[in-house]
Amino acid sequence: MNFEAIIGLEIHVEQKTASKMFSSAPNSFSREPNTQVMPLDMAFPGTMPTVNKQAVINAIRVANALHMEIDHVLTFDRKNYFYSDLPKGFQITQQFHPIGRNGYVEVDTSLGKKRIGIERIHMEEDTCKQEHFLDYTLLDYNRAGVPLIEIVSLPEMSSGLEAREYAEAIRNIVVYTNTSDGKMEEGSLRCDCNISIRPIGQKEFGTKVEVKNINSFKNIELAVDYEIKRQSKLILSGSKVEQETRRWDESSSRTILMRKKTDAVDYKYFCEPNIAPIRLSDEFVNHAIETCPELYDSKKERYLSLGLTVSDAEIILSSKSLASYFESGLSSVKNAKSLANFLIVEINAYLNKNGKKIEDLQMKCPTLSEIVNMGEEDKLTHKQCVDILNRVLETNVSPKLAKEQLNIVSQASDDATILEFVTKVLDANPQSIIDFKAGKDRALGFLVGQIMKESKGKVNPAAASKLLKEEIAKR
Amino acid sequence: MDYLDLPLLELHKALVNKEVTPFDLAKEALNRAHRDENNAFEYLCDEEALSFAKTLTEPEEDNVLWGIPYFAKDNFSTKDIPTCASSDILSGYVPVYDATVIELLRDKKAVLLGKTTLDELAMGGTGMTGHLGITYNPFDPSKERMVGGSSCGSAASVAASIVPFALGSDTGDSVRKPASLAGLVGFKPTWGRISRYGLFPFAPSLDHVAYFSRDVISSALILDVLAGRDEKDATSSFVPVEKYEENIGKPIKGMKVGIIKEVYDSLSNQATKKHFDSAIEALKNSGVEIKEISLGHDLMESLYATYFVISCAEATSNNANLDGIKFGPYRAGNSYEEVMNKARTQGFSELIKRRFVIGSYCLMKENQDELFLRAQKNRAKIVDEVNKALKEVDFLIAMAAPGIAPKFTQKSDKLSREYLIADNHLCIGNFAGLPSITIPLYLENDMPVGINFTGRAFEEKELFQIAAALEKETGLAGLSAKNKKEGNL
Repeated sequence: MNFEAIIGLEIHVEQKTASKMFSSAPNSFSREPNTQVMPLDMAFPGTMPTVNKQAVINAIRVANALHMEIDHVLTFDRKNYFYSDLPKGFQITQQFHPIGRNGYVEVDTSLGKKRIGIERIHMEEDTCKQEHFLDYTLLDYNRAGVPLIEIVSLPEMSSGLEAREYAEAIRNIVVYTNTSDGKMEEGSLRCDCNISIRPIGQKEFGTKVEVKNINSFKNIELAVDYEIKRQSKLILSGSKVEQETRRWDESSSRTILMRKKTDAVDYKYFCEPNIAPIRLSDEFVNHAIETCPELYDSKKERYLSLGLTVSDAEIILSSKSLASYFESGLSSVKNAKSLANFLIVEINAYLNKNGKKIEDLQMKCPTLSEIVNMGEEDKLTHKQCVDILNRVLETNVSPKLAKEQLNIVSQASDDATILEFVTKVLDANPQSIIDFKAGKDRALGFLVGQIMKESKGKVNPAAASKLLKEEIAKR
Repeated sequence: MDYLDLPLLELHKALVNKEVTPFDLAKEALNRAHRDENNAFEYLCDEEALSFAKTLTEPEEDNVLWGIPYFAKDNFSTKDIPTCASSDILSGYVPVYDATVIELLRDKKAVLLGKTTLDELAMGGTGMTGHLGITYNPFDPSKERMVGGSSCGSAASVAASIVPFALGSDTGDSVRKPASLAGLVGFKPTWGRISRYGLFPFAPSLDHVAYFSRDVISSALILDVLAGRDEKDATSSFVPVEKYEENIGKPIKGMKVGIIKEVYDSLSNQATKKHFDSAIEALKNSGVEIKEISLGHDLMESLYATYFVISCAEATSNNANLDGIKFGPYRAGNSYEEVMNKARTQGFSELIKRRFVIGSYCLMKENQDELFLRAQKNRAKIVDEVNKALKEVDFLIAMAAPGIAPKFTQKSDKLSREYLIADNHLCIGNFAGLPSITIPLYLENDMPVGINFTGRAFEEKELFQIAAALEKETGLAGLSAKNKKEGNL
């Protein structure tokens, strides 16, 4: 029997607004528990919610990036249940009128681009953080009330890889709309996967299993694929898939049963009476969209048009701070591809070696652009450029000064000058000419090396190599 | 010293003329409060009140609340002053912040003396269900009759002339009904006119900050201070605030008043009807045009059920924060469920639990359409009818209660027309969020009965105008248990 998998994702992203969703408490990470708290966050009697405007703007931008219909009347509802991490005994969410409906996102698959439908996105608030110990639990309300956006896909993915790519596409959108850090490892993007399988050709859906506790994009792929295999085995062995919630266990690379789903909880939703419906004007919505920072896909397209390879563009865009660093050097650099190359290879190496982040770098990207431009204009070798770069990074001098300090002279690439060195080296190494003619390619390298040595690095090695071949052929 | 028996404006004059100081006034009021026999108080904050009153040495002529002592119902959040809403579940809870109205009153140098009793969590209308037991009606020394609720302690404290005004809250009639039973002016404004930030919620879509005073002009002057937009209450209104006392004393000739027919018809007490008729006569004589308004018998009989479903449903959610984990008495358990179960089982009275069960039942998925949403639809219908009526007339008028305060032992037939309509119609003002005021109309065997006006949204100024005009006719301004009057109507 062949099965097809049907996968839907529910993604929660933590917004990085200045304050919380419904209170004026700062929305910032603090190691000191219960320091980022206003009375509302602990549900003190009599406190009332007020809607965070920036959170709404962010949600509009995300909805727009996901090609959704945006509801211009903002309403909130209460989801009622008792739990120790839920201060008010209800969560304020948007059950009946989500801010965005009917959207999609495109992901790359082996069969080309695929559209994954998105049912809805809505705003809500986070719960407080619990730390369980043997005989007590600690509660930290710093997280209580942090603005969340929940993004609910349609069940339209069919493999672990697709699920992962979908989640990454969502990450790219929330990161580049400046809505969220989008880091699964830190919990600012959380993903629950709903997975069911059915024999190919069958119309009805199979029994759905929810997998939680996935802490990286890679693990989305692993968890989904594991679950597809587990369910297939169950069915093939004559058992039934049970409706349940499982968690991904990274150390053993499998999903583990958390709880069987009995009757669905009745959340007794009703309209939040303390927030009167808010009408969003067309101007407000349009302004939020028009002032939205450039999105991932648009940036990527632009980078490709500047000559970057797909892989370079993706590497730079994989980190928003790397991308914004790169952008700040783009206007002055002549060759964007070289700039990308220096950034990805040399700067990254420097950062790794020194345990630094790009934000910590004293040298700003226009300086890197200057080095790249200098290399092109003065026909410096890559190594010379790297030397200059390292000098700048270490001593914070200008690229010009670094070049002088390092005694770097521009390479000659005019044939007359190079020819002088070529003739001299060929005359001194007759055996190498014989070796090269006998097919030993290494001899050419040796000869180029000799020329570089003679010229003290002033000759462009590529030009020297070309001339060498021509001269050898003549002899 | 009898300054506390004076109407607010005269008391203000005495303060301005330095005949009496805020400190003396607070001290005397606290003395009276400590001697109170009506069980009106949850907490008296002598120390805070007296030390604040001591700082008030320079009278402010243009500030009528300067140095005036007052009480707040114990469901207003008061920083550093215990607040338990007369429920064991909040025993020992000391709020970390002040309600907006408490802040506004302190800014005006009014002196908070303490917190008054209420029906537990403001749910109830008898003044009998707070965790300290029954609050009594100062008009009835035999302690046989209710003061009404849920703002029972605030009503008792003003009726006993301990303070000239006290804050309450009104979700169905919790200020305007006890005002009727305790001979007071009880006023609630348009929904959104006064910030609710810091008022413990019962049913937010119906909750109002409201208050008691002993004359209409005080009520208007207090609204001057309390009205206005508050960033902390997203439902508070941007409509500009007015000088609410401005129209008092101006002629009411030409104003249109509608008698709610169904309320009048459901009154069984002929004396009540007679006094109501004389009030109408008095209005007519002042040139008011009287009309009879019918809101529909079925609709009027559905008020109480509609109110009960909506308020219980909202209440069950609003009080879900009371789980023993963050504040209030903590009772240890082996799981969070056990901790919550113990807190809620031991912290709420059976009556409260009953309301929560009903509210929860109405919100359940399988019942929501039939109960909660149906009640909401009916509410919309009621609001629609009332607003339609208020296009024809400027105010609706009706008896605030069918008669004098009932005895604790008196059983009312909860399905009788009088109970369903005459005893429970004031929630119309909450459904529609309309300004509404009760003033004393007459006394029967020394027990007062009130009459109620309800006006259009944000027309508080006009409401005070007509209420003050009728007050002049009744001659019952300044009525209190210490200052019982005959009344003219």
